[in-house]
Amino acid sequence: MLKSPALDVPPEPPAKRRKTSPEPESDDNTPAPIINSTVKDLAAQLDEAERKKYVKGRKLGSGQYADVFSAHLLSDPKQVFAIKKIKIGPEVKEFGISYDSLREIRFLQELNHPNIIKLHAVFSTKSQNLNLVLEYLPQGDLLRLIQDTKGTTYTPADIKAWMLMLMRAVHFCHVNGILHRDIKPNNLLIAADGSIKLADFGLARAMADPFQPMTYNTITIWYRPPELFFQAQHYGDAVDVWSCGAVFAELIGREVLFRAWPETEINMVRLICEKVGTPTEDNWPGVSKLRGYVTPSEIIPLRPKEQWSASFRAIGEVGVDLLMKTLTLDPRQRLTAEGVLRHPFWTSEPRPSKLRDLPRRGGGKETMGEDLTQRGGELPTANGEGGKKRGDKVAKKLDFGIMTK
Amino acid sequence: MTSNTISEDDLYRTTSQYRLWSFSPEALASRRRGTHELALQRAWQHAPTSDGASDGAARGSSVDCLTVGEELRLVQRYCNQIRTTSDHFQWPVQVKATAVQYLRRFYLSNSCLTYPPKDIYKTVLFLACKTEATHMTLSEYARRISTDPDAVLAPEYKVMQALRFTLDVRQPYRGLKGVLMELLNMANGMVGEVIDAETRGAKELQASLLDLAKPSSDAKTPWKAPATGSVDVKHLTDRINAAYSAARTILDGPALLTDAYFLYTPSQILLAALQLADEPLSSFYLTTKLPISSDVRPKILATISTCADLLFSFSDAVIISKEERARLEEKLELCRDPSTRDLVQAHAAAMRGSDEDDEAKARKRKAAREKSRQEGEDLFGPRLNGVGAGGG
Ligand SMILES: Nc1ncnc2c1ncn2[C@@H]1O[C@H](COP(=O)(O)OP(=O)(O)O)[C@@H](O)[C@H]1O
Ligand SMILES: [Mg+2]
Repeated sequence: MLKSPALDVPPEPPAKRRKTSPEPESDDNTPAPIINSTVKDLAAQLDEAERKKYVKGRKLGSGQYADVFSAHLLSDPKQVFAIKKIKIGPEVKEFGISYDSLREIRFLQELNHPNIIKLHAVFSTKSQNLNLVLEYLPQGDLLRLIQDTKGTTYTPADIKAWMLMLMRAVHFCHVNGILHRDIKPNNLLIAADGSIKLADFGLARAMADPFQPMTYNTITIWYRPPELFFQAQHYGDAVDVWSCGAVFAELIGREVLFRAWPETEINMVRLICEKVGTPTEDNWPGVSKLRGYVTPSEIIPLRPKEQWSASFRAIGEVGVDLLMKTLTLDPRQRLTAEGVLRHPFWTSEPRPSKLRDLPRRGGGKETMGEDLTQRGGELPTANGEGGKKRGDKVAKKLDFGIMTK
Repeated sequence: MTSNTISEDDLYRTTSQYRLWSFSPEALASRRRGTHELALQRAWQHAPTSDGASDGAARGSSVDCLTVGEELRLVQRYCNQIRTTSDHFQWPVQVKATAVQYLRRFYLSNSCLTYPPKDIYKTVLFLACKTEATHMTLSEYARRISTDPDAVLAPEYKVMQALRFTLDVRQPYRGLKGVLMELLNMANGMVGEVIDAETRGAKELQASLLDLAKPSSDAKTPWKAPATGSVDVKHLTDRINAAYSAARTILDGPALLTDAYFLYTPSQILLAALQLADEPLSSFYLTTKLPISSDVRPKILATISTCADLLFSFSDAVIISKEERARLEEKLELCRDPSTRDLVQAHAAAMRGSDEDDEAKARKRKAAREKSRQEGEDLFGPRLNGVGAGGG
């Protein structure tokens, strides 16, 4: 059947199918080709036209639910993209198109912002795969830079530039009524020009009406705010701000701030109590009524500013103030994304680095596991303006060194 | 809950709803006509003929096909079906609003003749349930609507394609709730200051609200001014709440069952609903947002009024009966496109077909190259008296 010579015979023109005898009910007519109709509907035409615009290239990487390929325009090979092809897993039988991909498509279609990964188009293939045409972001993600402690140095001004881009992206999501719910360094991709792009909207959701319960089982555990561990069902944009605070601290300290190990919720709550303070009715009115409210019996008072400053000295007093306000226990007292953008940090010295001065991907060598032993609290080699320039040069040299190997 | 409707409109212009799913009434009508005609062509391609005419139009005239208007009424009936099913599951209101718009959007590029709505509406409702973060497994959903799970999933990609892969539906519900909150705050003297024609403080705002004219007799609000004629803050609060729930009813019914979402923005829809509920109250609210002196004011008011007319003109009586639905569906079968009859089988076949990436694609490309080379060589040979001959 597969290799039947009949396949080489051109399809019969429709005229030959005509019947001269009185026809039976249309039901019993010759089995029509199921998928290919010669006249395609408008949506199918548009879908096909989009698909044909791209030439798929090599695989760039693969994640939990997608493979990502490089691609370029057929009409202009200089225009490159990343095509994210959603994997079809066994869960398709139970759900159809997965929640993750629906969320990613839904929200990226609505968000057009310089610091949010741009979704140019979506098309499907005959075997019903969804393909997302994304902007190509060749510089890896922020986690790689943070972990590459040998090859990459960066300064407080660089951190300020990255955080500003992140906060603008998050603020834009929030004014559009969207919570990201998975902000962490490996979801912050870096564009060719060095700018940060918030990516991976697989866990995002629209802000709910105040009375509509939402799942608290979201956000990668290390970046999850305390209200979610306590199983608050009504939460808002403050959850993303906490995650941003954790990223901020990680950029400064070059280690995960709340690295619970093993990654259990109870360990996370313990760590938050140690590093920020125990959530109590005093610092968070109403917290004890949350369903999942459990804290270690020893109450640790809120960590005073001097202690924050001691650990995060490198970012300066104003920076430490902002950090504390993003990692405030009570979500209602925590700054909003807009509040963060209005904080004096951004306009105080040093000015955020220019895009072209930001460090690029350092070594290609994986530094897996090294961060387990690494001590944090200070920025390696970054001290003052002069130090920054030197640091930059070193980073670039290393970069070239590895490329020419 | 932001009070700034103007900047919300700016944000709205960046949404896919505005970019792809907003139309003038004329553009909407011509889009539907185009889709309908394309579907007739498709159906005729497959339809057997007795007179031997190969020309579609000639054949079409002999068969009594569903008209554009009948298609619309059928789709509307299924929009209503979606509402009742979603309410039956007690799903949040966003689910039904999204699902209804999915169905309406689907039928802008597809005709009932190709995909009868009874095959599609269950799929869009399940899809909306997923995009609106409401959890129900496919098996439970299928069981509760007594359908084969495969029948729910089969058209899912077709639906995604027809939606042009845009899934977000902007809705007026949150906005209406925001207006409710603002009005309640003003009624209780809790709004600091409103800058309109002349800047008014909290007390003045509250006073003008208490002095507001009564709703007219045809207003949708159930609220009646007290017999004594003097309105206190308690009465006022009742009035605002009553207007809100009357407007909510309009959003749940007429706004979903007409073309409102295609023609107007969510804030225009909610203000139109509020106007039908309690006109003096909605005008008052508008003046606090839109100074009398504003140049755009007349245009905005006119738009809201035409939207209100559209919502007002709808009544439940225009939804076709079960019998009428059955009649239209029977009629539909006469011009039914047979190629899309078995969606479940087509879906299964498509899923089985391994993806044409990689090797398969390479093989195909090679075959195509081979073919075009041959065709090139045979340019003056077989094509003239072989393949091409059947066309006449
Ligand atoms: N826009 C892009 N440009 C370049 N590479 C990308 C892009 N998006 C993803 N990748 C690569 O593909 C990998 C998987 O993508 P990701 O979006 O994380 O998939 P998943 O959501 O399944 O985790 C990433 O780790 C990265 O290496
Ligand atoms: Mg990922």
